[in-house]
Amino acid sequence: MVASVRPADFGAYWKAVDDELARYPAAPELEELPRHSTDFGTVYALKLTSIGPYRIFGYYCVPRGEGPFPGLLYTPRYGSVNHIPSYYDRERYAVLQIMHRGQRLADQPFAAAYPGLLTHDIADPGRYVYRGIVADCVRGLEFLLSRPEVDRERIGVVGDDLALLVAARRPAVAALQASNLLLYRLLGAAERSDEYPVEEVNDYLRAYPERREAVACTLAYFDPLHHVPDIRATTLLCVGDPGALGGPEWLAPLRAALGGTVEEYRLTHEGGVDRDWLDAWLARRLGVEPRPLMWATRG
Amino acid sequence: MQQVRQPADQYRTKTIRPPDFDQFWAEIMAAAAEIPLRPSLEHVPMRSTDQVDVYEIGYDSLDGLRIAGWYCVPKESYLPPPYPGLLIVPGYISEPTLPKSWAKLGYAAVGVAPRGKLRSNRHFNPGYPGLLVHNIVDRHTYAYRGFYVDACRAVDFLLTRPEVDHGRIGVHGSSQGGALTVVTAALRADVITCGAAGAPFLCGFLDAIALTHSYPYEEIVEYLRRHPEREPLVRETLMYFDVINFAPMIRCPMLIYIGLADDVCPPETGYALYHALACPKELLAYPRCAHDAGSYWAMPKVKAFLAEHLKPAGVPR
Repeated sequence: MVASVRPADFGAYWKAVDDELARYPAAPELEELPRHSTDFGTVYALKLTSIGPYRIFGYYCVPRGEGPFPGLLYTPRYGSVNHIPSYYDRERYAVLQIMHRGQRLADQPFAAAYPGLLTHDIADPGRYVYRGIVADCVRGLEFLLSRPEVDRERIGVVGDDLALLVAARRPAVAALQASNLLLYRLLGAAERSDEYPVEEVNDYLRAYPERREAVACTLAYFDPLHHVPDIRATTLLCVGDPGALGGPEWLAPLRAALGGTVEEYRLTHEGGVDRDWLDAWLARRLGVEPRPLMWATRG
Repeated sequence: MQQVRQPADQYRTKTIRPPDFDQFWAEIMAAAAEIPLRPSLEHVPMRSTDQVDVYEIGYDSLDGLRIAGWYCVPKESYLPPPYPGLLIVPGYISEPTLPKSWAKLGYAAVGVAPRGKLRSNRHFNPGYPGLLVHNIVDRHTYAYRGFYVDACRAVDFLLTRPEVDHGRIGVHGSSQGGALTVVTAALRADVITCGAAGAPFLCGFLDAIALTHSYPYEEIVEYLRRHPEREPLVRETLMYFDVINFAPMIRCPMLIYIGLADDVCPPETGYALYHALACPKELLAYPRCAHDAGSYWAMPKVKAFLAEHLKPAGVPR
């Protein structure tokens, strides 16, 4: 079993990231995308500067009418593409989907490789690609906080480990949903799985076995286990099957470490049930109506 | 407010099969067949294991495009050849997987990146959103013309490999991968032994855009909102690419699995596809499941179905 140990300079490492982020103005550019806008909301292409400096991208969608609206940040998935926020989210929230550096629309000059991103410069905490990726997501939340149409008391974040890290770095978040964690206990997960993207770590360590300690050192800065005590939001942790990666035993240390109120949702494997339940939970927390249930069939 | 819908299995699709559908695709496939495949294969030691060798592959396709993929094959010391071939086709926004886990089961497996995907997008990159409506008013240049052919030519790649049993080649994918599974089984009906398609996308385009607000189908809604006068051209183009219209061409056994609460690929369109299949077929329809298409329960059945027809050495029988 691989234990993730909080580095002694953990606080200094992340303060340096915050300082670097503060050094660069976000310099937001918003441009309406008429093709994607509707009669109930406007969709914008958003560009922001993050650390590096690096220009990142987001889809920012604002309902028409009187605000302020609850804000919602979707942190990026692990993959090259993120969709424009869903129709139902755009009706109810000022919602931002960030593309971190390397993903499509934020892939100049750096285009992420899949597989490859997860281990990009993983042996050096100062250069590991996720240092910038976390900063990109934090910058997204800062953007939401800067918007007059967003109710700063009602901001939600949805995603994987990145959502946890963002909410920990900027405790202005009211509601947080986390699922499909990737950076949490990653070396331990790699010992139990040969599925990508986790398998990227196994590939890397097969090629560079002598770097195992350095990899462990880097990953410790990004393990949400060491970030979540700073979270003040109400957190909904999505939990998988007992005994599985992502199951209750696996997540128990994280749950125990989480600051703020914690709730658990046991995923059902029935995607429609999970979708509707998670949507209703977030809607309740942020003071909007849940999306319509998808189906009632006649006959 | 809850939407009230007829039971999905009773839905009648609006999809029409054009009289020259077969001829349209026969001409495209004939043109593709004239293009030398020029397959390339480069070993990737970093991703290989004691059991599986991983290769980056490439081949030529329509319009002079070079298509990339991953090829994962059991090491001879782990399992001796010949191996059944398995084509794994990707979803709309996902990158192709390295099908190592399939190779561990005894398949010589290709994960293909059709045009526009990373590593196949140097000369064609309409983006996401973008691909679904790229040249959607012209069937001769619509994005999926080449995209479908790229997937089919991954089968040709497998046929170049001496370690592959050419009499045992299957195809599997979900969402857009489900669509490509059906298309490949149809256009390469001479070769494909079986196919397993989950939550099939690109079925009943015109039905789907009225049944869901989810991307990627929402791209078409947005396009038509901006260009309503182009609706007849869009309708005409899509008839030639509707996966339901490929279904009657398939001769091999097919397994289809869908979620009855799928808001991305509406289950009505999955049923329409299933009804159009004239081959040996099975449908797994999971209540309360969404675009996951009940994969938790379906995947063991998919693996058993593929193993039954393709007989990989790594799967006990």
